[in-house]
Amino acid sequence: MIVCAGEGPPAIEVQGVDCSRKGKQILKDVTLTVPKGTVFGLLGPNGAGKTTLIRLIAGLAWPDAGRIRVAGEDASRRSVAFRRRIGLVPQENTLESELTVGGSLLAYARLYGVAHPKVRVREAARKYHLTGFLARRPEEISGGMRRRAVIARAAMTDPDVLLLDEPSVGLDPDLRQEIWALVRTLQRAGKTILLTTHYMEEAETLCGRIAFLREGRLLLVDTADGIRRRAGADSLEQAFLRLSREEEEA
Amino acid sequence: MSFLPVFQREMAMLVHRIGGLGYLFSGLLFPMIYLLAFGWGLGSRVEVAGGYVAYLAKGMLAIAVMMNGFQQTAISVSAARFYFRTFSVLRMSPVSDFGIVFGIALAGAVRALFAGAAIFLAAWLFFDVQLLSLPGLLGIVLTAFCFAAFGVAVGLSIRGQEQFSVIINFFITPMTFFCGSFFPIANLPSAVGKVVSLLPLAQTNALLQADGWDGGAVAALILLAVLTALAFAWGVVRMKRYQEF
Repeated sequence: MIVCAGEGPPAIEVQGVDCSRKGKQILKDVTLTVPKGTVFGLLGPNGAGKTTLIRLIAGLAWPDAGRIRVAGEDASRRSVAFRRRIGLVPQENTLESELTVGGSLLAYARLYGVAHPKVRVREAARKYHLTGFLARRPEEISGGMRRRAVIARAAMTDPDVLLLDEPSVGLDPDLRQEIWALVRTLQRAGKTILLTTHYMEEAETLCGRIAFLREGRLLLVDTADGIRRRAGADSLEQAFLRLSREEEEA
Repeated sequence: MSFLPVFQREMAMLVHRIGGLGYLFSGLLFPMIYLLAFGWGLGSRVEVAGGYVAYLAKGMLAIAVMMNGFQQTAISVSAARFYFRTFSVLRMSPVSDFGIVFGIALAGAVRALFAGAAIFLAAWLFFDVQLLSLPGLLGIVLTAFCFAAFGVAVGLSIRGQEQFSVIINFFITPMTFFCGSFFPIANLPSAVGKVVSLLPLAQTNALLQADGWDGGAVAALILLAVLTALAFAWGVVRMKRYQEF
């Protein structure tokens, strides 16, 4: 069990969370704290439990044990106030295939009770460079543009916390840079961002703190420099491999 | 009015889907075929008070509303969960569970009523069937909502698309044939008739066949309202317990 004390008041608190699915333990006694206004990275290989943890934090599923609080709200109660404070960007494209990009953003703004939803959609389109794509359907735009639209949609309602599940997976380097720029913009706007990734470079570039997750266990939470130092490694990748080996031997 | 944005979203998606001919005809084809085949083939030979074609037209109207209310809503919800993965958008939105279920069910009901209107138009054009009575109109509106709400509950309950056929084969199809759409329930063996009389489509047919507010129509309306409330409550409970890993 590893606790990150954090620099400021917590935006996300995960305490002793266990989660199993179909008889398989996915998360084991996970505890972490994400300070407000920071970018926090959950790093780990496929199957480490990153997406499950994101879904638990989003209130889409409940843990078997433990407690999760987001912006002071209990995730398992998933109250209306809780849901207003969270924006989720899942791995999959969740733009409705029957709607245009603009239609999807508008429907989302209405669901969140945004005042003047059409104006807000236009503003979001300008901010996230989607103006020329609002009339197109998701299948008519590139994967990167869809990703950008989903991020814009989640951020449009001004949530306190944004959960980004593998935001740049499958994107080419140029588009990945664009997504990174978006994440930085959101952080400058004061958002707390929890992102999952299996790209070491992404975690190092974007995240103030990084948690290593492997087979449902948190191995370590620290800054990129701190992780390298503690593992006596030159790179995050080396550090991850070394920590994994130590965990196996223990 | 928290259901309104959910309803608007569902209707916006429906408008797009209606453009696909497969979608439009899949819910209309069976009732239309039954209406035309049985109406032309048996219409003059079967003895039912008021004429068999008029009876059959109302039965097909009930079936069209049931199938479109239930099937299209359940498919829409389950596809959003398993295939498109867009259901999380609704689940995470700050709309109450009641509002989400009501919004989806209302859109499903509107869709079902459009399908019912198409069937009734065909019956009027081909067989000169008369307009519905007030109990019939109320019954058809309630039926549309009842089966759409049931569709939401089933769409949220099934663990895979394949489970959907279980509901169709063991619940919807028997109702189609035994609940008084093709022939009066009184023609069934007494024990079967008693069981069937409790099912929602039987209430719809009782209301559609009623000329006015007699005791049978009032009882059918009350029972249909109770079944609708139960289907809706089940949907809300499923929504409250909904998890997505």
